Amino acid sequence: MASSCSQALRHHVCKSSRLLRVHLQKSWTNRSFEGAVCVSSSFALNSAADQQPAVSSPEEIVIPKKKTWSKEAVLQALASTVKRDPTASDYRFQDDPYLTPKTSSEFKLFSLSQESGRNAAKYFINTYPKYFQKDYAQPHIPCLMPDTLEAQIEEVSEAALIERIGMRKVKAAVDLYDQLLQAGTSVSLDVTNQLLDLICFYGDHDPAQENVPEQRNEETEDVQDEPQAKKGRAAKASDLLKATWKEKNNAERIFALLSEPNTHSYSALIRGMVKYGAYSKAFSTYTDLLNSRLKADVHTFNALITAAPEVKEKYNEKWELIVDLLKQMAEQKVKPNLLTLNAVLKALRRCGTVGKSQAFPVISEMKALSIDLSLASYSHLLAIFYKPGAPIQGQTDILQEVMNEVSGKSFTPQDPDDAQFFITAMRICLDTKDMEQAYRVHELLGVGENWRLLGNDFQQNIYYARFFSLLCMMENIDVMLKWYRDLVPSVYYPSSNVMRDLLQALDTDNRLDLIPQIWKDIKQLGHANRQNLVEELLTLMAREKHNQEVQESFAECALDIKKIYDTGDRGKVLLNWTAGSLSDLISVLLAAHRRQDAWDMLKLFKTHNRVPSEELLNKFLMCVKEDGDVNQAVELVQISAGFCLPGTPKLIQRVQQEFELTEQQRKMLSDLEIQSFNSE
Amino acid sequence: MYRRLLININQVRNRLIHTHNTRLTLPSTKCKERESFAPVASTSLSEDKGKTPEETEVNAEVNTDGQRNTEMNEGTEISNATLTSQLETEPVVKPEDRKQVEKTKSGKESLLELLGAMKVEVTTVRKIRPSKTPRMSERPDQEPMESTHSMFQRATAEGSQQHGTLNPELVAAVSAAASTLPNRHQAESELLKQLRKHEAIPDTQRRADIGHIISDMKVGKRPNGRSNVRPTSQIRFDDDGKGYTQDRGITSELDGVRRRKSPFTSKRLNLFAAAAEQDALSDLGPTLWDIDLANQIVQATNQMPRNGFEEMIQWTKEGRLWQYPINNEAGLEEEASVPFHEHVFLEKHLDESFPQQGPVRHFMELVITGLAKNHHLTVQQKKEHIDWFRDYFRQKEDVLKEAEAYLN
Repeated sequence: MASSCSQALRHHVCKSSRLLRVHLQKSWTNRSFEGAVCVSSSFALNSAADQQPAVSSPEEIVIPKKKTWSKEAVLQALASTVKRDPTASDYRFQDDPYLTPKTSSEFKLFSLSQESGRNAAKYFINTYPKYFQKDYAQPHIPCLMPDTLEAQIEEVSEAALIERIGMRKVKAAVDLYDQLLQAGTSVSLDVTNQLLDLICFYGDHDPAQENVPEQRNEETEDVQDEPQAKKGRAAKASDLLKATWKEKNNAERIFALLSEPNTHSYSALIRGMVKYGAYSKAFSTYTDLLNSRLKADVHTFNALITAAPEVKEKYNEKWELIVDLLKQMAEQKVKPNLLTLNAVLKALRRCGTVGKSQAFPVISEMKALSIDLSLASYSHLLAIFYKPGAPIQGQTDILQEVMNEVSGKSFTPQDPDDAQFFITAMRICLDTKDMEQAYRVHELLGVGENWRLLGNDFQQNIYYARFFSLLCMMENIDVMLKWYRDLVPSVYYPSSNVMRDLLQALDTDNRLDLIPQIWKDIKQLGHANRQNLVEELLTLMAREKHNQEVQESFAECALDIKKIYDTGDRGKVLLNWTAGSLSDLISVLLAAHRRQDAWDMLKLFKTHNRVPSEELLNKFLMCVKEDGDVNQAVELVQISAGFCLPGTPKLIQRVQQEFELTEQQRKMLSDLEIQSFNSE
Repeated sequence: MYRRLLININQVRNRLIHTHNTRLTLPSTKCKERESFAPVASTSLSEDKGKTPEETEVNAEVNTDGQRNTEMNEGTEISNATLTSQLETEPVVKPEDRKQVEKTKSGKESLLELLGAMKVEVTTVRKIRPSKTPRMSERPDQEPMESTHSMFQRATAEGSQQHGTLNPELVAAVSAAASTLPNRHQAESELLKQLRKHEAIPDTQRRADIGHIISDMKVGKRPNGRSNVRPTSQIRFDDDGKGYTQDRGITSELDGVRRRKSPFTSKRLNLFAAAAEQDALSDLGPTLWDIDLANQIVQATNQMPRNGFEEMIQWTKEGRLWQYPINNEAGLEEEASVPFHEHVFLEKHLDESFPQQGPVRHFMELVITGLAKNHHLTVQQKKEHIDWFRDYFRQKEDVLKEAEAYLN
């Protein structure tokens, strides 16, 4: 608007200047005149610009507040412009095209080896810090320097204790604390509380050293674990099994030594007890806390709510205990936080029908306290209403309600369980066959930073597997293939079962002509050695007649499959020929009129001790007849006789009738006829 | 599809009548009537001429064959077995038809009722047909056919060979039912007459019936609470036969709006006071537990960078990468607290250690002017610069004094 206006104005000025020029040419030089025009035109522009705001906006100018940007702001803006490339593999593999994973096992291998390489480097730097002292970076970069793992302060003092607590050396800290007490030095309550925190957090055991080689083993174990078990979870579960809360451990001993334990001390003790499975003990400690006229903090309550389902048997007893705890929170004027809400909801998952009736009142309560739900809350909610494996009947549509709530929102991770939401929601979509909600869930994944909440690679795989099998089941083939091209293999490496679903979807929508393409993908995804999958593929190809072009591509594909059968992996046979797969393959070749290839295949029956069906031989004979190859027909009969098939006489009859035989062949056939007759 | 089928049926039926006529050598007056519908039949035939020659051949053969043909055209689920059974019974029926003269009334009423129920079966094919669109080709078809009906009834002996126009299955059923009665011939003829009446009910009327049926039908509406929770193994089929319910978009959204006040806004537990005061939180900074929680969250979520920029963000957070400038004060960390006048007004550093006038003073004023405009140096460095000159001139004091340049 403004620019066009000014342009028009300039145009006007130019016109008038031309008139001026005529008049003034005599007295002024060209050059100075142009300067004058410039001045006049700029003056005109300025006056126009001055006038405009005076007319349109008499209100005062509001100076915007200074906006403070985070130091990543520019990078974040840049990063938001980059869209996912469905043809590229994950970013972490893009450095080395040779290491672009093609199968899920390669993906695991490469990503884990990258991670473990980093860990190994870190391990060496931290173990031999003396070799890594040179500091090249001009502003010092602390994270590139070796961590100090050895305690620096040798003397027995509170400072040394703080240092050991900071380095999370449980044993050393406890020893030092004892030495301090023996020496008669008193340790301040804060430091003692920190020590209690440390002991309770690690359950009176030294923490497993970070970045030591063992960790890698753990990770690889997790890989083979059930996909349901998260990486972090599995490690934690094994910790819990190893370490339980022992009677009279250092934490209890030090706690008993305190003359006046405060809320923090109690909190540390109770949280430790809950973490290491001493649930009833935690509750009795809580009673102690009340008896000594102290208030508990929110973390204590959260821990106790987590423990509540463990100490009671019946559903309503559990719930009553939780309500009781919440009431006490209100009495002690402790404000619940998001983790309280999530702890309550998580506990309600184990309260059966009570959970269903109480979940929403709890959520409303927390909303009234202006606590925003995180994805973990929704995930617990879904888990309360949709039990895995249980029949889903008479349910109000909770998933839809949840999706109405969350759609279009960007969530920040606030709870470790946040990462469960997407796979839970997708599981429910799969169970209820609800494509609409599945799309909404997937859409939510694309909002803001929500992709981070999908969790690690294993969870991503589960999520996409569920999404994709739902697509296979419910969507028409074109939409499904669109998703297939989008997701595979850049984010998702389908398992052989999912590939079978895909084949079935192709079958239902009558798009079997795509099979050769899918076979290529199957080969690339490393499922070419799955007997079931390959046989199903062959059956689908052999089942119906297609047009010539498709048959031709099928035959190519079949020969390719044959190669997989032929080439074993280092002497190991990957696939075994069965009668079914052989005859399917031959039928495909015959349908494409590749008689010679089919003939070669037919010989394989003998070498692999399989028996062809009569139907196949009849089909073969038909094909031979079309080409009028008498010799092969006779040979076919011989093969049939060789297998002592009951249909041999019929075959002989057909050959005798339909082919022009030489005398010798005629004789041979009648011999065979007698033979087969005798054998019967 | 149905339409074509119906046309076929009508054609075949007409042709059957045709054969009857020739066989019976009917008077020429009827031939006229026949002619009146013949062209119509041929027009309707034009749609599928490929088939017709064979059909006419078959139809021309025998009555029973023609019947079978109609059945095949109708495409109902009459099995081959019933067909053969009909073929067996029919030769029996025909002579009976011709012979029957006697009359009896026993058990007639009940049979008529039975027939009334059967009527539905006769018209199954028609009912299925979509009757909304009145067809050009059918209307004219109908009338001549009916006229032949009445003609037949007038001309031929009662019930003689007329069952050709009826559903053979029905005829078979009639004869079977009649055979159970004492006076079978009579009963059968009555039954057939009744049947023919039903057959002669104008098609339009039937159409109206169907119209009634359709208008009476109510489209089942789903209750508001969309119950799309189904057993895992089932795919729910919608009424429109689309296979699965994908087009719930708007209705479900409307439902959603209507049910806005549903679960998430249900009544609360009322345990806490609404505006609970803020707790005195974490006076000591993050505890071990807080750190661990953060760590768990990081582990649970996907922290892998998706592109180069995200990797750079990660490096920036770790402190490995030089910060991307977000304003013109990037890299000012150590100077951030120094006000600008410290940089610009440097005269205060030219204290009494420099001469108050003369060339040295003049030189130093030039130096501080230069320094004031230099944005590469920190204030500390500028001070050091001045200090260096101070030292230098102090060292050279003797020389300067000799040259009378150092005036103090």
